[in-house]
Amino acid sequence: MLSEGSSWKRGLLLALGLALVAIYLFPLYWMYATALKSQSEIFAQPPTLWPREPQLRLAEVWTRMKMDVAIGNSLLIAAGSTALVVLLGTGCAYALARVRNRWMDAALFLVLMMQVLPSSLMITPIFVAYAQIGLTDMPRLGVILAQAAKALPLYIVLCRATFLQVPRELEEAARVDGHSRLGAFLWIMVPLARNGLLVCAILIFMQGLGEYVYARSLIADRAYQPATVGLQSFMGPNSSDWAGVMTYAAIYVTPILILFVLLQRQIVSGLTSGALK
Amino acid sequence: MPRLRHSFRDGPAFDAFLVLLALGYLLVLSAFPLVYNLILSFQDVDLFTLASFDRPFVGWRNYAEVLGALVAPGIFANTALFVALSLLFQVTIGFGLALLFDLRFPGARWLRGLFLAGWIMPGLVVGAVWSWILAGDFGVLNHLLRTLGMIDGRIFWLSDPDMALYSVIIANVWLGIPFNMILLSVGLAAIPDDLYEAAALDGATRLQRFRTITLPLMRAQLGAVIALGVIFTLQQFDLFAALTQGGPSNASNVLQYWSWQMSFQEYRIGHGAVVSVLMILFVVLVAAVYVRSTRQDHAV
Repeated sequence: MLSEGSSWKRGLLLALGLALVAIYLFPLYWMYATALKSQSEIFAQPPTLWPREPQLRLAEVWTRMKMDVAIGNSLLIAAGSTALVVLLGTGCAYALARVRNRWMDAALFLVLMMQVLPSSLMITPIFVAYAQIGLTDMPRLGVILAQAAKALPLYIVLCRATFLQVPRELEEAARVDGHSRLGAFLWIMVPLARNGLLVCAILIFMQGLGEYVYARSLIADRAYQPATVGLQSFMGPNSSDWAGVMTYAAIYVTPILILFVLLQRQIVSGLTSGALK
Repeated sequence: MPRLRHSFRDGPAFDAFLVLLALGYLLVLSAFPLVYNLILSFQDVDLFTLASFDRPFVGWRNYAEVLGALVAPGIFANTALFVALSLLFQVTIGFGLALLFDLRFPGARWLRGLFLAGWIMPGLVVGAVWSWILAGDFGVLNHLLRTLGMIDGRIFWLSDPDMALYSVIIANVWLGIPFNMILLSVGLAAIPDDLYEAAALDGATRLQRFRTITLPLMRAQLGAVIALGVIFTLQQFDLFAALTQGGPSNASNVLQYWSWQMSFQEYRIGHGAVVSVLMILFVVLVAAVYVRSTRQDHAV
């Protein structure tokens, strides 16, 4: 819109923007503030906006809730599914960006359709099929496979947008130099699209870290459950240890938030370029 | 097969191979479950027949039992309300914020980016934080509303049957705002400034400019966020798991959560599959309409 208006008007807009951000991010603030409060201060009426005697219970919550195991499982599931997605999806995204014909259009349409299938509804047939082939005995692998199928379409769509921005002349030049198709793809196209691919992979990794439905449904043994399921069982129906729950949540999401702040610009541009197509 | 090998090295077989690799995986882990789901919905499946390959077919019985269940109408209505209200608030608030941050003032882009922190959080963590904010006895929202004089006593957001669904909607709106805002921001940024300037010269007021320029040019973008919003809202599961588990007594239950409950808590897997089949049909229909319409717009 127009850049009209004097400096006080812009100052007013800035104040309004700041206020709205503050309101919106209040739940995040409340998570951290609660995590710093003592057991008794949690139930103070009126609630204290700022913790009176801040105390960190990182070590206690970490060991009592066996967070090392849970976070380890989360990382394993996220890394496994991301690796699968990158291996299977990068080439597909490249081919879909490069070739335009009826078959590729149909393939792209199929990929887009697969993207919208809700996990909570897909899990029923996946669970029965896993039970029949005995994959329920390796529940983390089962979750990785299912999560990879869930995330693959989004990765393909986002990476396709990245490959579309790489000039085709560069690939053709490499082919003239005697590279095979595979060589040109691996040594020319992938390095040129590297940054975009990395952002897409990080997005998929973060999705894997937050995965809940498949893990909750397929993993019964606590030793294999990721942090989302751990957090859910910590909350339980009768738990009143909200400081503990918020500490758990804070430990779990702080690295994700830091990663996000560092990569914010790339993530936003990656998402907006792919999400609408 | 030297021709195929040659084509793989230098020709189109390479592209086909790359696409089929990914599609093959999706075929096994997405398309096959879809078909299997359909079969399961016509079978009698419980814990004992789970791993067996020889299960009795029961015709349309599962469908009749699920659709005829006493709780079914309420859950259908909840799902519709959940989608409608979530979308209404997500899109209007997201659009409002996008318009605000489209005005040029220092730090606008940076502030807009901060909203995305909500979008990146795992749904379950968002649910956990909101269930503490919404807690009836010591929750901060009740305290805020009391201080502002909007309520007298306490609202038991999560356990009051009249409020439970709305508390999930509140959390879901919070989760969905950033996505809507950012997609609509992209659309706003694409509208050329000259249009506004020309209209301003012609003496159009701000409201007129919004009605005659912004809204019509944002039609495709608004359609996109609404279609994507329907799809994502019907995927929402984590918030229900963290906040109300569909309760109390199904007051906040929606189809996607109900399906999961039948399959994984009551082990009536055939019944869970019925809901799953119906929902997936609906979601894919919405997605197909949406993808087709965007293709006509800019020939993807």
